[in-house]
Amino acid sequence: MEKPKNTSRRKFIENSALLGALGAVGMSQFLQSCKPRVKLDLKPFLDEAPDGELLKAGVVGCGGRGTGAAFNYLDAGPNLSIHAVADVFQDRVDTFRGKLKDERGVELDDANVFVGFDAYKRLLETDVDVVIMATPPYFRPEQFAASVEARKHVFMEKPVAVDPVGARAIMAASKQAESAGLCVVTGTQRRHGRNYTDIYKQVKMGTMGDIVSANAYWNMAHLWFREQQSGWTEMEYMIRDWVNWTWLSGDHIVEQHIHNIDVINWFTGKFPVKAVGMGSRQRRLTGDCFDNFSVDFVYDDEVHMHSMCRQIDDCANNVSEHIRGTEGYTNCKDTIWNPDQTVKYEYEYPLDAEGEIDKTGGNNHLVQEHIDLVTAIRTGEQVVQAETTAKSNLTAIMGRQSAYTGKEVTWDEMMSSDLKIGPEEIVMGPVGMEAIIPIPGSSPE
Amino acid sequence: MNPLIIKLFLASTYQMTGIPRKKGKRYNKLIFLSGILLGIILIFAGNTAVVKTSTNEFCAACHVHPQATQTWKRSTHVDNQRGVLVNCVDCHLPPKGHGYLKEKAITGIRDVWGKITKDVESLNWEEKSHLEYAKDHVYELSCIGCHQNNFPLGLSVEGKEAHLYYEQHASELHCINCHIAVGHYSQDQIHAKNVDFGMSVTVDKQVYTEPGIIDGLNDFTEFIPDTKVSFEMVAIPGGTYLMGSPETEPLRSADEGPRLEVKVSSFFMGRMEVSWEEYLAFFKQTGVQGKTSDAYLNVKQAGEVDAISGPTPPWGAPDQGWGKGTMPAMSMTHHAVEVYCQWLSKVTDKKYRLPTEAEWEYAARGGTETPYYFEGDPAKYTKRGLIRKIFGVDTTNISSNVNYRLNSMGKSTLPGHTQRNPFGLVHMLGNVAEFCADWYAADAYEMYPAGRVDNPTGPAKGAEYVVRGGSYKDEADRVRSAARNYTKTDSWLKTDPQIPKSIWWYSDCFYVGFRVVCEFDE
Repeated sequence: MEKPKNTSRRKFIENSALLGALGAVGMSQFLQSCKPRVKLDLKPFLDEAPDGELLKAGVVGCGGRGTGAAFNYLDAGPNLSIHAVADVFQDRVDTFRGKLKDERGVELDDANVFVGFDAYKRLLETDVDVVIMATPPYFRPEQFAASVEARKHVFMEKPVAVDPVGARAIMAASKQAESAGLCVVTGTQRRHGRNYTDIYKQVKMGTMGDIVSANAYWNMAHLWFREQQSGWTEMEYMIRDWVNWTWLSGDHIVEQHIHNIDVINWFTGKFPVKAVGMGSRQRRLTGDCFDNFSVDFVYDDEVHMHSMCRQIDDCANNVSEHIRGTEGYTNCKDTIWNPDQTVKYEYEYPLDAEGEIDKTGGNNHLVQEHIDLVTAIRTGEQVVQAETTAKSNLTAIMGRQSAYTGKEVTWDEMMSSDLKIGPEEIVMGPVGMEAIIPIPGSSPE
Repeated sequence: MNPLIIKLFLASTYQMTGIPRKKGKRYNKLIFLSGILLGIILIFAGNTAVVKTSTNEFCAACHVHPQATQTWKRSTHVDNQRGVLVNCVDCHLPPKGHGYLKEKAITGIRDVWGKITKDVESLNWEEKSHLEYAKDHVYELSCIGCHQNNFPLGLSVEGKEAHLYYEQHASELHCINCHIAVGHYSQDQIHAKNVDFGMSVTVDKQVYTEPGIIDGLNDFTEFIPDTKVSFEMVAIPGGTYLMGSPETEPLRSADEGPRLEVKVSSFFMGRMEVSWEEYLAFFKQTGVQGKTSDAYLNVKQAGEVDAISGPTPPWGAPDQGWGKGTMPAMSMTHHAVEVYCQWLSKVTDKKYRLPTEAEWEYAARGGTETPYYFEGDPAKYTKRGLIRKIFGVDTTNISSNVNYRLNSMGKSTLPGHTQRNPFGLVHMLGNVAEFCADWYAADAYEMYPAGRVDNPTGPAKGAEYVVRGGSYKDEADRVRSAARNYTKTDSWLKTDPQIPKSIWWYSDCFYVGFRVVCEFDE
């Protein structure tokens, strides 16, 4: 019997379809082999944010960093203004307005100046487009959530939380910001450095092989403290001395060392699954924070990060990161070495006006953060960093809790912990919270 | 239409059909047009068929369970402020482009088969509405297809925490773990802290002022002081028996051996599983609204422990809406039960505790060495296997003694429907499974020294506790006297979105309860 005619035809079509499919698969494989091992979510560095409609910013928390951040924002590009300010203290607000007027010729309308614990709420009711947050981190989760609900873009300083409940609140609000089309940049400034980013690319392309271990350091002299003054309530004193109080700052491993821990998390692309740490308080004069921590963080692939931070005068100082790979090691900042200590790769710093090497990397990281934020808002290429920062923040909290308790603390425990620190009620007056320095473990019986 | 396309089409038509070319242009056009028409008809008919067979009315035509339609109408998928209507197939089939037609065909065939071979009336629709069954008939992709944003502005703090938890455990959770009642309203499916649970007033009865009195090794009635609750305790005279099952026992598991010669001292055991009435007496007297806190992380809060602080309100409805009163209490954690025993000991001035596994099996056997304390072969009481599935099994004997998979209709039951065992205990096998005091280890019996063991208490350490007796959900193999099981803390607490999760109530286990023993002072 004769074969139906169309059999071979159908077969041909099937075969050619198969060939086409194989070709497509092969091509995509080929294309992928040219890319770095993982997708790098990197935006180009601009020297200045693009022009666009006026973006009005409101500053919440205008102490040293808040004032600095406001100026950094104004330096980020054209058509940016500071429109409103909120702080708990009148004198802070007055100083801020004075500086803004003297140095930038900007005068704030009285109607846009707010004082008190709920000042930020009234600031959010104004027509600002961007909120710059630089209050002590204790206040951040609530203020960030409210800003997102008010549909404002946000720049916020690190750290973003002092406890697991707060860190998770930031994560959730970050997801809300993402789906609401808002932009959020955080003050983990190394991620906005051209030098760090260049080395990050090299590491991701495999220049030093696979990561096998990491170290993070922030060892320095004491930071600063305030003495209690007559006329200050306990609450006022604590807030003015905030870096020394765990409930306000998260302790220095969270407040300061988060920078270095975040770099290691960034380069590894992961967050540790557990930590065992130790620490103590030797020289600090006020508050209830430790002044030294040493923590062993472990990632899921058994890569360890040793983190070390200290705020004690006249000791060996070092603020840096160090990551070792199977084929070399790096300071994350500008150089990759071969295992034999010869230089493998070096970031080329740009030259400044005098022809000298400019170690700031062409642009101050603190300004770059705001350039990146404004660029994201104006180009519509959304950037939301809050969740990642909250996770690095929670990493630091995990290390702190381990040092405070002496116990091993896991990421899962942190993600389901109800630990919320701070007084029951936030009002100017007595705080009624005993300042207890944590002591890990127990004494021998 | 482009004449070139027409020509090409005709050429291929001739080639495929073998119709000779000669017959002229008219004929060509006729074939062409009728082909187009047929194509259109087929497309429309196919589409219409899919549409017609996807209407709510079409579904309801076979799924003759009016309560499903009623509960659907009362659910937020119909009755909501946004006026959006969600139909049967929107949840019970995957979204289009994700295997919609394939699943439609498969479920269609299954439904038709069910319609022909099964009696719709006899199906246990209520059981099928529970999470573990509902998961099979609700496609998560369909949930996500409509609900694309887990973090909308305005979401409550609790909602944010719960959705963060979901995203961290997406592979272990289904949307309906928490949102089970969105498609079919049920007042028994509560996804909230159930603060009113067990707080209703009990019937008008005398309030006991004094606890029961033990007079030698005889049965006695316990009265819980300051409550209207009493229960019976049965004297179990001590003795020696063989714990575990012989290797010849049908459907046994390896963890039931090797058999162990065990001596058990005399004790008293609750005739029934602890009822809601008894458990709620404890809950009302000691329950707190407070935190279950992971306080160990917060060194600054240490040192705040009170005498007996009892359960926090449950998440959801532990009784599943089956009733409380003398129904067996269930879904409380092993920890909660230990605290219950401490409390009961305190208020009655006796030594109440959970039975050891050895005591439990001794009591369950009542002197027998057979798989059950009554006659029968476990293999013949299961519905496993095609022949038994088709021809059914004679369960008369087991049914008069045990509330299990084949006669339970998916629910626990009141005591009094089944016979007592030789010691006079009710529901030792089936109904709700029962906690023991021992840690579970599969090789527990191997670890004892050779010879007789006196009052064994199980491994010194462990991760999960022994659970015995099987439950209303279990087949005949799991309700044998020797069958062993254990707690599954992680999977029994999946749905609870609280931080931290409750240490008092399992959110996903509705078949484990317990029975108390009271120590006898010889």
